[in-house]
Amino acid sequence: MTLSALAEALSAKALHGSEEELQQEVVTVAASDLMSDILARLGTPDVMLTGLATLQVVRTSAVAGIKAAVIVRGKPVEERLVELAREEDIVLMSTDLSLFEASGRLYAAGMRSAAVRT
Amino acid sequence: MDPRFAKTRELLYQLRVADIIRREPIVTHPDQMMSELRAILRDRRISGTPVVEDGRVVGIISIEDLIGWLSSGGQDCPIREKMTRDPEVLYADQLLVQTIQHFDASGFGRFPVIDRRDGSLIGIMTKGAIIEGLLGKLEHALREEEIRQYRASHIFEDLTAEYKEIYLTYEVKGKDFDLAGKASTQMKRNLKRLGIHPDIAHRLAIASYEAEMNVVIYADRGVMEYRITPQEVSLRIRDQGPGIADIEKAMRPGYSTAADWVRELGFGAGMGLQNIKKCADRMDLRSTPGVGTTLKIRIFTRKANETE
Repeated sequence: MTLSALAEALSAKALHGSEEELQQEVVTVAASDLMSDILARLGTPDVMLTGLATLQVVRTSAVAGIKAAVIVRGKPVEERLVELAREEDIVLMSTDLSLFEASGRLYAAGMRSAAVRT
Repeated sequence: MDPRFAKTRELLYQLRVADIIRREPIVTHPDQMMSELRAILRDRRISGTPVVEDGRVVGIISIEDLIGWLSSGGQDCPIREKMTRDPEVLYADQLLVQTIQHFDASGFGRFPVIDRRDGSLIGIMTKGAIIEGLLGKLEHALREEEIRQYRASHIFEDLTAEYKEIYLTYEVKGKDFDLAGKASTQMKRNLKRLGIHPDIAHRLAIASYEAEMNVVIYADRGVMEYRITPQEVSLRIRDQGPGIADIEKAMRPGYSTAADWVRELGFGAGMGLQNIKKCADRMDLRSTPGVGTTLKIRIFTRKANETE
């Protein structure tokens, strides 16, 4: 699915992302509040779902090559996080859904996990 | 999608009218005569002008109007009588993508561009200006990164020496979570520019990031030294911190001595060293409690070396 379809599925608001970037196709997701857990994936997930709203969300995405980070539970997102997402070219979204509910909706829409590095 | 087209579309959404218009356009006054207009269009090789009176755009006159006037006898009269009054205008702060819709919807070939605040004429927008502007920006945007990548990725080929290596060093501040990970994200970009294989760059970036987080979490300060040679990329990270009392235990998955505030930031779950180990071809961790820790990781870029 495209990132804009994903945003719709999660009733998410795009905090940073050009129309062009939102047209990117995404397939794999990692959902965790633990950044090390996301970095342990063998295949880079296209999208990260997380309850964390620190600068590390964007830095982890940049390091791992994740295209979009979705912050769940409607956590307030500081402007400097959006600023960093812009600098690093990471699509950033926010949804009021819980991590569980957001994951469930994306699974139902056909998104799958990225394999864990062993 | 071809990345070049993707870039063009991106520019359409990034660029504003003011970025690409022809400024200080040739203008005419409504009281100038049509015969004068004919001379202006011919001499300046343009196909129309905004018509300006008292600093405001009151109309637009084009070569089509001139042809119409000529074919109906060409009796001289002021431009005022033949111009299109109150023409559609564009604002300097509009996105380029919006103006393209204007061209499509109206069929007009040119629009005066005015300042939204005071209505003064700033320039003129034509399809030609859009094409020129886009090509110019596109070339500029692609070239910059291409040139950087080209330059950097040929360093090893262009320089001749018996041994070739590049050292890049970063300092890391302990407990500073705002900057944590900055060195590793910058380093990932550097590796890409150096033409390092994406998989190698990816593994080094992840290992480096986890190691950088460890310094930020536990130590007061640290130094990250990257060494790049045609055969391998490696990282030595030394910190002045509490040290690790039992390295074997620290390497155990899930073992962590991190404080709660670290866990709240998404780290400290006892996975970092494991992640580093999985990404590296070689890993060497040494520590003296009360003094500090030195971690060395190596990733080989050449297949032959992986089986050494």
